[in-house]
Amino acid sequence: MVVVGVYDTPMVNNAEEILPKYWYNIIPDLPKPLPPPRDPLGAEFSRIDLLRTILPKEVLRQQLTIERYIKIPEEVRERYLAIGRPTPLLRARRLEEYLGTPAKIYFKYEGATPTGSHKINTALPQAYFAREEGIEHVVTETGAGQWGTATALSATMYGMKSTVFMVKVSYEQKPMRKSIMQLYGGEVYPSPTDLTEFGKKVRKENPNHPGSLGIAMSEAIEYALDHHLKYLVGSVLDVVILHQSVIGQETIAQLDELGEEPDVLIGCVGGGSNFGGFSFPFIGNGRGKKYIAVASAEIPKFSTGEYKYDFPDSAGLLPLVKMITMGNSYVPPPIYAGGLRYHGAAPSLSLLMKEGIVGWREYNENQIFEAAQMFMRTQGIVPAPESSHAIRAVIEEALEAKRANRKEVIVFNLSGHGLLDLPNYDSMMKRVTSNEQR
Amino acid sequence: MLVVYMTLGYPDNERYLEFMEEAVKNGADILEIGIPPKYAKYDGPVIRKSYEKVAGKFDLWSFLPETRKVIGGTKAIALTYLEDWVQELDDFLCKLKRAGLDGVLFPDLLIDFVDDYQTYSTRVREKGLNNVIFTAPSVPDKMILQVSRQSDLFLYYGVRPTTGIPLPITVSSLVTRVRNLVDNKLVVGFGLSDENDLRKALKAGADGAAIGTAFIQAIDNGGVKQAIDLVIKLRSVLDEF
Repeated sequence: MVVVGVYDTPMVNNAEEILPKYWYNIIPDLPKPLPPPRDPLGAEFSRIDLLRTILPKEVLRQQLTIERYIKIPEEVRERYLAIGRPTPLLRARRLEEYLGTPAKIYFKYEGATPTGSHKINTALPQAYFAREEGIEHVVTETGAGQWGTATALSATMYGMKSTVFMVKVSYEQKPMRKSIMQLYGGEVYPSPTDLTEFGKKVRKENPNHPGSLGIAMSEAIEYALDHHLKYLVGSVLDVVILHQSVIGQETIAQLDELGEEPDVLIGCVGGGSNFGGFSFPFIGNGRGKKYIAVASAEIPKFSTGEYKYDFPDSAGLLPLVKMITMGNSYVPPPIYAGGLRYHGAAPSLSLLMKEGIVGWREYNENQIFEAAQMFMRTQGIVPAPESSHAIRAVIEEALEAKRANRKEVIVFNLSGHGLLDLPNYDSMMKRVTSNEQR
Repeated sequence: MLVVYMTLGYPDNERYLEFMEEAVKNGADILEIGIPPKYAKYDGPVIRKSYEKVAGKFDLWSFLPETRKVIGGTKAIALTYLEDWVQELDDFLCKLKRAGLDGVLFPDLLIDFVDDYQTYSTRVREKGLNNVIFTAPSVPDKMILQVSRQSDLFLYYGVRPTTGIPLPITVSSLVTRVRNLVDNKLVVGFGLSDENDLRKALKAGADGAAIGTAFIQAIDNGGVKQAIDLVIKLRSVLDEF
């Protein structure tokens, strides 16, 4: 393999073969039963029944018809190819050299898609299914804007309108993301808004509320119900992780081509979809030895969250799911710029963590800022702040391998680029510098 | 195998007994009797309302034996959540046995008590009761294989997360997935009153169906007679296979 510049193996010549024909669902291969979604005790309405109104029918069918492999519709595969799937599997050779580690470091670069993150992998099929059902307008929420961008592009690709409720603090900090969504044809509102009863209620209690993903989610669902639109879901639910399994399956095929056997697999966790999409095909097929989910120390769901039934959204419009959660009314610290703000982790991931199959780390803003800089200066790619959490864990694993002189293979998912997150890095730079001066 | 569910004492004691008696006469192979729980975790609005309606209207232990009188030798199993009885399980099981029940089905056994499910199964059997194990598509394949051999009478496979809500699923795919794993009679349930769905499940290899919500709705709409007409209709669908 020729090494040129910062990338190794950048081109994919056999894209058709590497892009999977099926999505993979880990549920039949989990060590224990996945607790099902359920209605709360004494509920005045059935959230499970409400799903039929909220979600495109085929999305709900895929959520409930649990099979190990589900065929990817040919039209969706074509779209995947058109947006550049399979994404590259690259070797971070300069980072290895900089760290002086005997470990090999590979990363799956999901930032290569037009929207700059993995989120498009589920936005596309959901939009496709919605369009097939004759739906003309979809609604969703977004935090950092990656999911909103993926939804806006996918909706437009299938000739639908999109409305996005964006967490207010991000809306203000990230005007570029809003611009992209609008350029793709999306309508963007800073949540909490006055467009929904729930948004009004939150604003009445605190007019300066910075918003949260849970609140934006509730607003999007309420808005969809009020206007007879469909809601697209960006993370947490099994169907999303099912769609994201293209990431891990491609990675396995690409590693096989290189003749590499992975030891450690690392990904960051907001709701858990990029981590699940990346690692579940490995876990389910017994590939790899160690799996590390990385979250933020500022939103410490792994170290302080509880494994229990909780609502995915703040208003409690979705069914209860069993997950590691900080509570559905959790509001993240507004000053923090590192992403991964969601209050829970997907039920399947939560179960794997509880069973000790997936380990975890949490890093603070300073730690991920350092990692991002090290990655930029060695590999050249500006990582999303979310993905910098994974990079930090990769660096620590690589240094541990150096101390133990282990020639292991570390593979991580670089879930997105950070070119639209420069205000976040700016803000981190200022705060990290001022912390150092103190 | 037609498994007929009814909430104990629904809609009132007299009509409940009439339904049970007629259901047996018209082809029910096994009866499932719902004992009102504190929290019907996996039940949809129809069955939940049926529990609310009968709550406090009878004394459980004096009323349960009435069922045995009207159903003759047909197998009857109690359906209730383990969560409610786990603190006094042995006492509960003894009373079920004395009340003339043949077995018990705890829908939350594999979900909320998975680490100790074998111990609980043993305790059920020690009291001379059948332990019917509840599984679902969210149960991993290895475990379905394992518990299918330990379940008495049949293995229950609930194809939807909640009873009575016609959520979109491909029932044939779900049955096909587990058919070869199940070393037992495979009975499917949860929202299967639709004839087409039922036929698809049977064609994919199910040995029977468990129906509940549809009977409650039939009783609400047209009384016991309409519910029994439905028993007859479902029996005839099953008899096609």
